[in-house]
Amino acid sequence: MFGRKRSVKDFAEEIQAHLEMEASDLKSEGLSEEAAQRRARVEFGNVGVVRERFNLQGRWQGLDKLIRDLRFGFRSLLQSPGFALSAILTLGLGVGANTAVFSVMNAVLLRSLPVNDPARLVYLRTSNPPKHTGTIDTNVTFSYSVFDILRTQNQALSDLIAYVPLSSSKVAVRYGTAPEEAEGDMVSGNFFSGLGVKLIRGRGFTNQDESDHAPLAVISYNYWTRRFARSVDVMGKTFHVNAVPMTIVGIAQAGFEGVEEGGSTDFWLPLQSRPELNAWGNPLDSGRVYLQNNTWWCLRLLGRLAPGVTKTQAISQLQPVFQRGAYVGLGNPEPEEKLPVLSFQDAKSFPGYETAYGKPLKIMMALVASVLLIALTNVVMLLLARNTARQREFSVRLALGAGRSALFGQLVTESALLVMGGGVLAWLFAVWATKALGAWAQIESSLAPDQTVLLFTLGILVVAALLFGLAPLRVALSAAPTVALKTSAAASSADSGKTRTGRTIVTMQMALCLVLLVGAVLLLRTLQNLEATPLGFSTNGLVVFGIKPNIQSVPEGVAFYRNLMEKLRRLPGVESVTIMGERLGSGSSNNSDMLVDGKLPDVANGEARTVRSNVAGPEFFQTLGVPVLQGRDFLESDTADSSHVGIINEEFAKRFLPNQNPLGHIIGPAGFPYQMTIVGVVRDHKYRSIVEKPIAMAWYMYAQIPIIGAMNVELRVHGKPLAILPSAQRAVQEMDPNLPLIKPMLQRDQYDETIAQQVMFARLAEFFGLLAVVLVATGLYGTLAFRVSTRTAEIGVRMALGARRGQVVWMILKDSLWLTLAGIAIGVPLAILVGRGLESSLYGVKPLDALNYLLAMLGVAAVALAASAAPARRAASVDPMKALRTE
Amino acid sequence: MTTQRTNDERIALLQGTLDLLILKTLVMGSCHGQGIARVIQRQSEEVFFVDHGSLYLSLQRLEDKKWISAKWGVSENNRKARFYSLTAKGRAQLLEKTSEWEKLTRAVGLILGGAETSGEEA
Repeated sequence: MFGRKRSVKDFAEEIQAHLEMEASDLKSEGLSEEAAQRRARVEFGNVGVVRERFNLQGRWQGLDKLIRDLRFGFRSLLQSPGFALSAILTLGLGVGANTAVFSVMNAVLLRSLPVNDPARLVYLRTSNPPKHTGTIDTNVTFSYSVFDILRTQNQALSDLIAYVPLSSSKVAVRYGTAPEEAEGDMVSGNFFSGLGVKLIRGRGFTNQDESDHAPLAVISYNYWTRRFARSVDVMGKTFHVNAVPMTIVGIAQAGFEGVEEGGSTDFWLPLQSRPELNAWGNPLDSGRVYLQNNTWWCLRLLGRLAPGVTKTQAISQLQPVFQRGAYVGLGNPEPEEKLPVLSFQDAKSFPGYETAYGKPLKIMMALVASVLLIALTNVVMLLLARNTARQREFSVRLALGAGRSALFGQLVTESALLVMGGGVLAWLFAVWATKALGAWAQIESSLAPDQTVLLFTLGILVVAALLFGLAPLRVALSAAPTVALKTSAAASSADSGKTRTGRTIVTMQMALCLVLLVGAVLLLRTLQNLEATPLGFSTNGLVVFGIKPNIQSVPEGVAFYRNLMEKLRRLPGVESVTIMGERLGSGSSNNSDMLVDGKLPDVANGEARTVRSNVAGPEFFQTLGVPVLQGRDFLESDTADSSHVGIINEEFAKRFLPNQNPLGHIIGPAGFPYQMTIVGVVRDHKYRSIVEKPIAMAWYMYAQIPIIGAMNVELRVHGKPLAILPSAQRAVQEMDPNLPLIKPMLQRDQYDETIAQQVMFARLAEFFGLLAVVLVATGLYGTLAFRVSTRTAEIGVRMALGARRGQVVWMILKDSLWLTLAGIAIGVPLAILVGRGLESSLYGVKPLDALNYLLAMLGVAAVALAASAAPARRAASVDPMKALRTE
Repeated sequence: MTTQRTNDERIALLQGTLDLLILKTLVMGSCHGQGIARVIQRQSEEVFFVDHGSLYLSLQRLEDKKWISAKWGVSENNRKARFYSLTAKGRAQLLEKTSEWEKLTRAVGLILGGAETSGEEA
C-alpha cells in the first residue's frame, strides 16, 4: 500500500553517475583529473548521509501517506457519527460476547492442566467397587490398600498419585486466633514431582514426607495471593488444620489450582494419619482412619503413563494387579460377584468440567456465534449502503484524478478504523463479561483471557476486516467518473444486484433472530418454572452454616451439639434452631436400601428401593416449616437412652407402607445394626435440589445413632437473616476457638445454587436474544431506509400518477413482510434443531411447544414492523412535485 | 576560465524553493540531476549554491509525489544518467507554486519597500 519501488542501489548509481559527470565538467573547465574528482565530491557533501536520508525519506513517505489516510478516514467517519458509532458498537458487542464465551470455554474445556506433559496423565476409574465397601463415588474412588498395591506392583505407570480432600466442602484452618475455612487436599508424596508442577518457592513433598505423615503444607499461588497478598513471610509459618499444626514449606506455581473437580485447592498436605484429619472430614469408622480402612474407597488416583507405554498396554498390565488388590483384607469375592474392572480417563483438561459445563457452553458458543454473524453482516450492510450513498463523492474524486487504488486504500483504511475501534471495545467488554460469567457460573479456576483467546479474537477481527474490505472493493471497481454527471439518485444507485444481496442478508438475519428468540423463550420459561417450583416449605428467615467440632466420642459430640443449640437459641432474634447431617439443597444425600419391619420391602416391577436418609436434630421439621402429617417431630427428649425413633416422608409411606398406618413400624438401613420406630410422617419437600422428583426419605435422630461428626446448623431468625452470623460465630467460638462457620448462607441461596447454571444460561440467552433483536432491527431499518431513499423518485412518479399514500406505505411494508416470512420459513426448521439440542437443559417446557414458536414469530414480526415504520412513513411523506423536480 | 565565488557568498536554498526551481528547470525538457544543478546555479548567476545531496533527495521527493518521473538514459557526453521530466501533475503544481511564490515575493517586497517609505516619512 505504501513504500516505493526504487532501490537504494539505484539511488547510489545515480549519485555515482553525478560525481562522474560533475568531475568531467570540472575537468573541461581546466581542473586536473584528481582535483576535479575531489571537488565534485566536496560539492556533493557526505554521500553516506544523503543515502541515509534517502532511506528515511522513503519510510516517512509511507508513514506520511498512512497518517494522511488515517486522518482522512477519521474525518469521513466523523461526518457520519451515527454510522461509525453503530458499526463500532455492533462489532464491539458481537466480538466481545464471543470472546467472553470463548475465554470461559477455553479455560474450562480446552485448556490443559498446567502440569508437565498433561497428555500422558490419566485418571483411574473402576467399573464398580467390590461388594460390602463404601465409596465416595462408585467409579472414581479407591481404597488406600489398592493404591499401595498398584504403585508398588506396576511398570506401566511412572507415577501413581493419590489425592483426597480433607472435607467435602471446606476445612477449618486457623493462623492466629480467628478461625477461617479453606479447601485442602491430602496427597501422596509424589504429587508435585509426578504431575510436574513447579514450586515458585520452597519445596514440594517427598515419599519420605508421606510415610512420615509429615506436618507440612504447600499452598496454591491463588491462595497465597488471596490470603497473604503474596508475602514471602508465609514460608515457614505454622497454621492449624482442624487444630493440627502444619508448617508451610512451599508455594505452587501460578495457575495450578489442584486436580479437584470444579474447585480450586488452597493447600496440600502429605497423606495424614491422625483421626482429626480423616479423608473427607468423615468421622472414624470403627476407630479406623482411611489408611487402614479397606472397606472405604475414598481416594482419587491419577497416573502418569511410563514412556513408550500405551493406555491399552498399561491397562492390561495393571488389571490383574488391581483385581487382586481390590480384595485385600476383604476375603475372596463371592462366586457370582462381578469383579471390578480398571479403566483410564484422560486427565488432559480440568476434571469434571466437561460434564458440568460442556454442553451449555457449546450451545452458548453457538448462540453467540449467530449473534456475531448477525453483527458482522449488519456492519457489511451498513458499509454497503453508506458506500453506495457516497457513490457521487467517489465519482467526483475519480474525476479529479484520484486513482482507484487510492480510493480502495481509503475505504480499507476506514474499515480498518472501524475494526480497530470495535476490537478495542470488544476486548474491554470481554474482560468484564468474562469476570461476570465466571462469578455467575461459580467457576473457581482462573478465566483470565490468555493467548489462545487473544488469537481467537484477532481471528474474528481479521475475518471482519476482510469482509469489510470486500465491500469497498466492489465500490472501487464499479464507481465511474461519469456517474457524477448523473444527478439522479435513482439512476446512480438503484442496482438490482446490490439490493438482492441486502435482501438475502436480511432474510438470513431474520432466520437467525427467530432461532435465538426460540432458544431464549425456551430457556426463560425453564427459568420461570424453576423459580416457581415450590420447595415444600418457606425459606424466609432460614440461615444455614456448617460446623466440624473436634470431638473424640459420640457422647461428647452429642453434648457439643446440645450445648451449641442451647447457646444459639438464646441469641436475640433466633426463633428456632436445629441441626442436620447433610445440608439441605446442597446436592448431596446419603442413599441406601432400607429394611422395613426387618426385611427389604417388596416393590412393584423393579422400582427403586433406595431411600435417602438424613440425620436431624430436635424440632427439625418445625424449624423448616415442613408440615408433620401424622405423629410428631423429633424432640429434645429423644436421647440415646430412650426408644430410637425415625421420621419418614409421604413418598416413603406410599411406596413401602401402602394402605396402612406407618406409625409404629420399624425401619433401619440394610447392612447396619440400627433400628428405629417410625413416629412421624412429613409432607414431601425438596431435599437435594429444586429440580428433583419426590423420593422416599427417612430421618434419624442425631442423638441416637452411633456416629457423629460434622453437621449443619439451621437457624430460623427474625429480621435480616444474615445479621445473626457474627453473634452465632461468637457463640461457636466460646465453645471452641478453632471452629469457623463453614459456608454460612441463606437456605434459599443454597437451593438456588442448584439452578445457578440454568439461571445463567437463561439470562445469557435472554441477553443474546435481545442483542440479536436490536441488531436485526437496525439492519432491517438500514436496508429499508436506504431502499426508500433510492426509490424517492419512483415513489414520486407513482404518487404523481395517482397512487395513494396507503398504497405507498403498503408497498414498503409488503417488502419487509416478505423478508420476514422468508426468514421465518428458514428459521423454524433451524429452531427445531436448536430446541432438540437444548432439551436436556429444559425444565417444564417441551422443545416443540407451539407457544414458543408463536412468541418468537411474533417477536420477529414486531421487529420487522418496528424497523419498517420509519421508512414507510418517510415514503408516505414524499412530496411528488419535489421528488420529480430533483429528478 | 570561470571565476569561482567563495561558498559563503552564496545563499543556501530553502527546501520548497528548490522544489520550485527543479520543476521550473524541467519545463524546458527532461534533464539529469547534475544538469539541473548546473542550470540552477548558472541561471541564478551563481547566487544559489545547490547542495547536490539535497538536490537528489528533493528529486526523489518530487518523484514520490508523482510530480516528476524518471528513467535511466544516456547523457550528452555518453554517460549513463537518470533523466527527470515533468508529469501533468507536476506541471499543474508548477503553475500553482509559481503564483504562490509571486504572491509571496510581492507581499514581502511591499512590506520591505513600504517600511523604507514609512521610515522616510517619519
